[in-house]
Amino acid sequence: MRAILLTVFILGVTACSPQIFSQVVRPDQLNFPELQFEFPQIKRAALNNGIEIYLKEDHDIPLVEVTIMIGGGSIFDPVGKTGLSSLFAASLQSGGAGERSPQQLEETLDNMAAKLSVSSSSYAYSIEMSMRRQDLIQGFNILADIVRRPRFDQQRLEISRQGLIEGVRRRNDDPRSIAGRTLAQSIYRNHPFGRTPGSATLASIERSDLISQHQIYFQPNNLSLAVSGDVDLDELKTLLTQTLGDWQASELPDLEPPALPEQPENGKVSIADKDIPQTTIMIGQPGIDKNNPDMMALKVANYILGGGGFNSRMMREIRSNRGLAYSVYSYFQIGRKLPELFIAKCETKCDSTLEVVSLMRAQMLELTEKPVSKDELRVAKESLINSFVFAFNNSHSIVTRQLRLDFYDYPPDYMQTYRQKIAAVTVADVQRVSKKYLHPDKLQIVLVGRRNEFEQDPAAALDMQVENVDLGLE
Amino acid sequence: MRRLIICLCVLLLSQPLYAAHIMDRVREDRLENGLTLLMLERHDTPTVSAYITFRVGGANEGQGNRGIAHLLEHMLLKGTKTLGTRDYAAEKPLLDRIEDVGTRIDRLKNNPATDPAEIEGLRARLKSLQQEHKQYVVKDEFSRIYAENGGVGYNAFTSKDQTTYLISLPANKLELWAAIESDRLQNSVLREFYTEREVVREERRRSYESNPSGLIYEALVANAFTVHPYRNPVIGWDSDIANLSLAEARDFFTRYYRPVNMVITLVGDFESDNALELVRKYFGAISPGIPVPRVVDVEPQQRGEKQIRINFDAEPSLSIAFHKPSLPHLDDYCADLLMDVLAGGASSRLYKRLVVDEQLASSVASYGAVGSRYANLMVIDATPRYPHTVDEVKAAIYEELDRLKREPVSNIELQRARNRLVTDNLRQMRSNSGLARLLSSYEALGGWRYLVDYAAKIETIDPAQLVAFANRYLKAMNRTAVVLQREVK
Repeated sequence: MRAILLTVFILGVTACSPQIFSQVVRPDQLNFPELQFEFPQIKRAALNNGIEIYLKEDHDIPLVEVTIMIGGGSIFDPVGKTGLSSLFAASLQSGGAGERSPQQLEETLDNMAAKLSVSSSSYAYSIEMSMRRQDLIQGFNILADIVRRPRFDQQRLEISRQGLIEGVRRRNDDPRSIAGRTLAQSIYRNHPFGRTPGSATLASIERSDLISQHQIYFQPNNLSLAVSGDVDLDELKTLLTQTLGDWQASELPDLEPPALPEQPENGKVSIADKDIPQTTIMIGQPGIDKNNPDMMALKVANYILGGGGFNSRMMREIRSNRGLAYSVYSYFQIGRKLPELFIAKCETKCDSTLEVVSLMRAQMLELTEKPVSKDELRVAKESLINSFVFAFNNSHSIVTRQLRLDFYDYPPDYMQTYRQKIAAVTVADVQRVSKKYLHPDKLQIVLVGRRNEFEQDPAAALDMQVENVDLGLE
Repeated sequence: MRRLIICLCVLLLSQPLYAAHIMDRVREDRLENGLTLLMLERHDTPTVSAYITFRVGGANEGQGNRGIAHLLEHMLLKGTKTLGTRDYAAEKPLLDRIEDVGTRIDRLKNNPATDPAEIEGLRARLKSLQQEHKQYVVKDEFSRIYAENGGVGYNAFTSKDQTTYLISLPANKLELWAAIESDRLQNSVLREFYTEREVVREERRRSYESNPSGLIYEALVANAFTVHPYRNPVIGWDSDIANLSLAEARDFFTRYYRPVNMVITLVGDFESDNALELVRKYFGAISPGIPVPRVVDVEPQQRGEKQIRINFDAEPSLSIAFHKPSLPHLDDYCADLLMDVLAGGASSRLYKRLVVDEQLASSVASYGAVGSRYANLMVIDATPRYPHTVDEVKAAIYEELDRLKREPVSNIELQRARNRLVTDNLRQMRSNSGLARLLSSYEALGGWRYLVDYAAKIETIDPAQLVAFANRYLKAMNRTAVVLQREVK
């Protein structure tokens, strides 16, 4: 029966020419059913000592993912010890824990086919672990050892230190790394956001510094934990109570970040001369934090400027119309506590460097001077609104998103109201916030490439002060 | 601690190790015209990932059209007779004139006897035609339609063996995907060609010519192979890209981008019966086409080590490759296991020796490279740690490889590698797009069941087979070693 129906159907289709479909109904004129979407349910719990727990069960695949976030991070690195948080994270991962030596720990994890990684970011340490369901008991025991009983083995500490120093030696290998570092430096100067580790600062860090980092920040009431995968809440609570339940809460560390320096008065071009055929262009200026009421309007404005991929103006003008680049985009880093940067990036052959910088700047200027079209606004808003469902596309991103929103004190209705707030953005809003936050006359511009191949003198072409970046190692 | 284990084990350990039950739900259909459709329903979130993979890629190119599969990937995003244009009938004559002038420029520009003024004149003519063409172009309309309908991850990628077009959409927009993709297949118009060629040259500068890791990889592959087209970069060499023609692009497209060479994979929130009808409706009437012919070039046996040094403004790095068979040959599975034993985790042999014990390197990695349809490479990369040299690192690596030829790996190491390989596969199946990518890619290579059978297959391999593998392939004669460093003056 089924076979007969299918045959008829095939005949039916072959009878009409395929041309007809595309000419009669354009894909964007099709009608679609309403999307059925409900916010996914996250299970939450807390231990008596203050540890917050988030769980999204997902029994499709016998794996369990864990993300632990702990307040702390690179913004608290003391002057002279820049890199402390990175070395701390590396040593926490490789330095052994509990009864296991570094080697025993690594072998146990590899035998379990588990993945463990510890990282530090501006305001947090993150521990990520992925394990098979069958290893849950051992996995949580190891996690508890790492957060509560790290060994910071001295030999492994030296290996981690040497690895980071090797990274310093190699930091000029990749033009994008030079550009990012130079931009941060020119805006944040000696603030922790502007500093990068050097051989000397890394060499000055002692094992006792790591131990005191651990004592200060690793407190149960400073720790949250998101879990997804093949485990249910009762199991998880049992596991966590057994491994972390007797951990006593103590005084919370001071997590107030050091204030930012004054913003640079004037724009500046920093040029790092490097023997490569393509210039990396990175443009930046001070931006916003998450509490900024203009954030949603800026998301829309930036989508139109350089955030919307092929639908953005920068991509259209620089790549698609002129063939001057493969990649060009812009974004606002949304500062979780302190405001962070607006950044635009592109790479182009050295002899079109200044043309591309001028085009990027012109796109910023145009956004501040002229209202965007209704069509551009509609595409930007609908794209942001209709793709919202992908914020919930996999179970681990569902829980870690909620973990981060709470960790950084986002308003509780942030996700629930996101789409309405985007929908409310108007043409006038876009122009207002562009004017307020984009300052094409005060940009910090970094160029990394063969300077002698630029079309002309950069200072004259861009009418800006130019500085050379010293790529020499310390 | 002991108590905890006892009270929880009944609760936790009831599931078998490789419970990839999810693969039991894969549904496979084949349309009359040869198109293969894989579907897997997952109803957790209202989204669908849709992959279309063609069994054609860089390996199917030769002199004269190297880089065409990748350039086509860019060109197929440019629209159709109805999308991306205000009026195709009016646009078409202009497109023909642009092609005519562009072809003449390409013919003349490589001839040293050409009068520079003639070229300049033609370039100016091309520019003004391109300017005129703009009035007909609706920029990046595919992208706009997908975006405003909530699509994410709209992209395409080209490898040696296959080309894939992908998007994830809200579940209610599956028909939009079918309509757009079938239009792309049947009615693509390769507009803005000469501008896009320049975009691809910028992509090449970015990924290879300005990037030490891209550059060393390209040099490794180009030197390891002498005959097989795997030697050529998928993106093409710069002069390849600069001379690719519209005629070649159209020819390649009409020949190979057809249902018999095509795998569609859908993973997410849809009803399979409805999705099948949709695919039939939009793709069922396309004529089958002919299968992509197999590459006939056979890489001759390497007759001695190739040692290559390339200069770049960066600290030294090292990349070593050995020829080996590709799947479904059992040696491909052996290679997977050995690569994990060597550099899979923090307890792997090379990591332990080079990074931890002797501290000669700051990192080491091992992976299979180039493509998977024809005999390929097992690669080992290492980053020497100052003041140690590439030669010290190399010597230590070769000693470890020699050890594999003499002593069988321990059962613990072997079991660890099996566990890690199977679990890594599972990790990629967590997201709809990851699962769609795996299914699509392996189906295009020979059959998605490879993923299901993998665990059992590597279970059969014993330490003696790994010793045999090491003796057969991991020898100097079969080796290419590339060192990237600053010019030594």
